[in-house]
Amino acid sequence: MGKYQRTANAVSSMTAVNFSEMKISSNPVETLVAFSIGSGIGMTIHDPVGGVGGVLNFILPDSTKANGTNPEKSPFMFADTGITAFLKALFEQGAKAENLKVVIAGGAHIIDQTGVFNIGQKNLAALKNSLADYDVKIHHEAIGGTKSRAISLEIGSGRSIIKTFGEEEEKV
Amino acid sequence: MTNLNGIVEQINLLEPIPAIASQIMTKSEDPDSSLAEIADLIVKDPALTANLLKICNSAYFGLPRKVESVQNAVAWLGLDQIVELVLTNSVSDNFNKGLQGYGLGEGELWRHAVTSAHVAKNLARRYGVSQNKHLIYTAALLKDIGKLILGRFVAFSFEKINILVHSQGYSFNDAEKNVIGMNHEELGAMVGEKWSFSEKLIYIIRHHHLTDESARQDLETTLIYLADIICMMMGICSGTDGLSYRFYSDVLKRINVSEKDLQAIIAETSENQQKIEHLLKLF
Repeated sequence: MGKYQRTANAVSSMTAVNFSEMKISSNPVETLVAFSIGSGIGMTIHDPVGGVGGVLNFILPDSTKANGTNPEKSPFMFADTGITAFLKALFEQGAKAENLKVVIAGGAHIIDQTGVFNIGQKNLAALKNSLADYDVKIHHEAIGGTKSRAISLEIGSGRSIIKTFGEEEEKV
Repeated sequence: MTNLNGIVEQINLLEPIPAIASQIMTKSEDPDSSLAEIADLIVKDPALTANLLKICNSAYFGLPRKVESVQNAVAWLGLDQIVELVLTNSVSDNFNKGLQGYGLGEGELWRHAVTSAHVAKNLARRYGVSQNKHLIYTAALLKDIGKLILGRFVAFSFEKINILVHSQGYSFNDAEKNVIGMNHEELGAMVGEKWSFSEKLIYIIRHHHLTDESARQDLETTLIYLADIICMMMGICSGTDGLSYRFYSDVLKRINVSEKDLQAIIAETSENQQKIEHLLKLF
């Protein structure tokens, strides 16, 4: 688990969600954070009614292009298998599709990385495809460009914070 | 523009690479040198031998029996692995620090360096340049050594660099050059000259972002470049420079890397990352 920091009210904890990982929590003093996102996408989902939320940090759009990688072993590496498993895990914890607040950050590209090699853009398209299957909408997005980002989710407040180098942080 | 001599003088502040590591680097890049020669060099340095045995006996390798000599270590792990460990160990002191200017915390440049070295090694295997695998590993490991010095100058001029990159379409290395008068590739090459690296290693460090068109024809430099952009895309400790380097799709086409290959290499790197995290703890 993450590092524990004593605050005025309670012991809060911060848990890192590395790439190709997903974490879910209903601990109101926990913050989940995906650091250093490039072309991948950090996705926070929170259900304020159920008091549960999580972060998925996937890096590739399509598990069928994995070529030697077993998506069953690493489902959270990919948008398609990752989002399905992420939502399923949230629903198992009592979250409801109609309550979900989704915030996404990442999908960046190298300068001039256009067309088929623009994995960031493909990640976004794959994410939107997967969410459409569940009729879930995106509340806020910070996507594209050439900067790396970090995104965190405070489970207690349901607030997501996006940090982009050289920019003001966005709190949503 | 900054006083360039002032920047270059700061190369002296780096922890110099041990002479034994330079010798091993040179030997390992030379296709004519034998594995036994390299093992002999290691054995002659007691401090290096002790350190190497400590690493080889760590839980990371999970060897069934305690390794008590370099010959033993080579027999268990293979000389390639031993050379990599020696080279990695010899530069870890410099890289394992935080990096002002590039917005990197303690150990982050190190994680990027070691990960990109492993990606480069896998690319070398995939694209058939295994005879130069040690050079490729070392070059990927050391490509950003110029950042260790340039960082504080980047911090000082960050606003100007940021404007060029995000409002005027400069790559980060071109913006460094424009604002400071020198970029981290050139400065890294100067470190290589001072430390008597091989000409090829210096060349790769100087051109690893492929700004110079002739470098795009060079296979080894291209593989280092590709390893670097893969790490950037995966967000492996990219800092203020982020993904702000130029992409050359023609280079990927030339060495026959398809979109699917790119995704497969990223997937493979992700699967190896846990192992690399354990490896990082050894140094």
